[in-house]
Amino acid sequence: MTDKILMVKKGDPVTSVNNLLKELLKSKKIQALLVMQEVPSKAISFPVLISDPDKLNSNVFAPVLPVSTASVISKITKIERSFELIGVVMRACQIRALVELVKLNQANIDNIVIIGVDCLGTFPVNVYSDFPEKESPTQFILNTIKKKNERSNYIRTACQTCKNPVPINVDIIIGLYGLDPKKELLIQINSEKGQKLLEDINLEAVKDAKNREKAVKDILEEKNQNRSDFIKEVGKIKGIDALTKFFDKCINCHNCMKICPICYCKECLFDSSVFNLEANKYIGKAEKKGLFKMPNDSLLFHTTRMNHMVVSCVGCGLCEQACPSDIPLMEIITPIGENAQKIFGYSPGSDIEEKVPMVIYKEDEYQEVGEK
Amino acid sequence: MVIKMEEFEPKIVGFLCNWCSYAGADLAGTSRIQYPPNVRVIKVMCSGSVDSIYILRALLEGADGVFIGGCHPGDCHYLDGNYKARRKAVLMNSILDTLGLEKERIWIRWVSASEGQKFADTMREMTEAIKKLGPNPIAKHWNI
Repeated sequence: MTDKILMVKKGDPVTSVNNLLKELLKSKKIQALLVMQEVPSKAISFPVLISDPDKLNSNVFAPVLPVSTASVISKITKIERSFELIGVVMRACQIRALVELVKLNQANIDNIVIIGVDCLGTFPVNVYSDFPEKESPTQFILNTIKKKNERSNYIRTACQTCKNPVPINVDIIIGLYGLDPKKELLIQINSEKGQKLLEDINLEAVKDAKNREKAVKDILEEKNQNRSDFIKEVGKIKGIDALTKFFDKCINCHNCMKICPICYCKECLFDSSVFNLEANKYIGKAEKKGLFKMPNDSLLFHTTRMNHMVVSCVGCGLCEQACPSDIPLMEIITPIGENAQKIFGYSPGSDIEEKVPMVIYKEDEYQEVGEK
Repeated sequence: MVIKMEEFEPKIVGFLCNWCSYAGADLAGTSRIQYPPNVRVIKVMCSGSVDSIYILRALLEGADGVFIGGCHPGDCHYLDGNYKARRKAVLMNSILDTLGLEKERIWIRWVSASEGQKFADTMREMTEAIKKLGPNPIAKHWNI
């Protein structure tokens, strides 16, 4: 692990990082780059896969996450792994999701070099596109590195309660915490892949590493505190009445499942015809209770989805962001995920070698469930 | 209408594995061992193949209990399906709490092909236990 400093020119870290990435693309060390870039209307930033350095106009700090970058990498490497090196610039939650997808054999990172960016949090899509402050969302969020309370008005619940906004399991980190992004950015090289990529780039030595260490420790403590406070506050959704009330507005669009990086099934059972019944069966169902809500099986969908993904839930909160009915899904997913992960002693996205809990077992475990 | 507790006959959905528990239930039948008729048996190839969706479907449709029968540890026809079934049950238990259901509504037991008596005993035991728990509270909800 080597720490270096990228000097920021003209107080503009976005352009400085863009220039660095441009150099990488020009050097042909990476064949393509997956990075956030503003769409022409400037309404939002989306991941783009880019090969032409002249067309690169990236904004790695844009505080928005419209789709899962981990799912995008899964899409790129699903049929066949990449034979040429691709650089990907991602946030911590998406790197955790990517690690989970690799473990689930849904993505291949053999020829992927992961560049993680310290995350200050992201805004909901519509807040980002119609940002009420004078500054641009990116300038605003970068300015909050010192006055963090200001960003808490805007960032998503998932980001407030993030497990760890500092990337792990990456080749290179672009660091913000503990630095003044108007002057300098941390470039931490964590692997040989990363070392090779940056060997010709002019970077300076770190003068004072203590600031960074303290800032990272502080932010982890703060997020952990937020997370346990949040769980304490919302952990009361228990029992069928509370649960049906919580999901009352669900319109069965299944957006939460489609956007979720962990919900990887190529064809979800709920999108199949398995639950399409003959008319007389629907009438039979009605006669059983006198009536039932249509379209049916909304709670079945949510509870099944929970069962399938909570152990690997990385807390990115895209499910909540994608919900057209504004159901605050994190209020239910966060406590259940935390609990399930504690039961199996599993921390999603933290260790790429560790197997997911549902494929391993010990002969003498959980004997209180079942019997000896 | 007041339903007296004595009248409550629980509905139990039983997922029995093809190789052990189903054969065990079969043996109970051919040996004419009596057991409560509350269980509705569904044969599956392996207890490990019982996905959470089947269990949840049964419970949300109003079943009062779900029984999963597998081979004894070490005897699984597919080597480790029953161990995986147990892990799934552990996960399911953590979610049942949110649904407001007691985790005693899901039973996972090992019944071999030779244990007709054990199958009958387990069914009796489970039926009694579910009778004590009372009807599934979800059964009367229409907005699920």
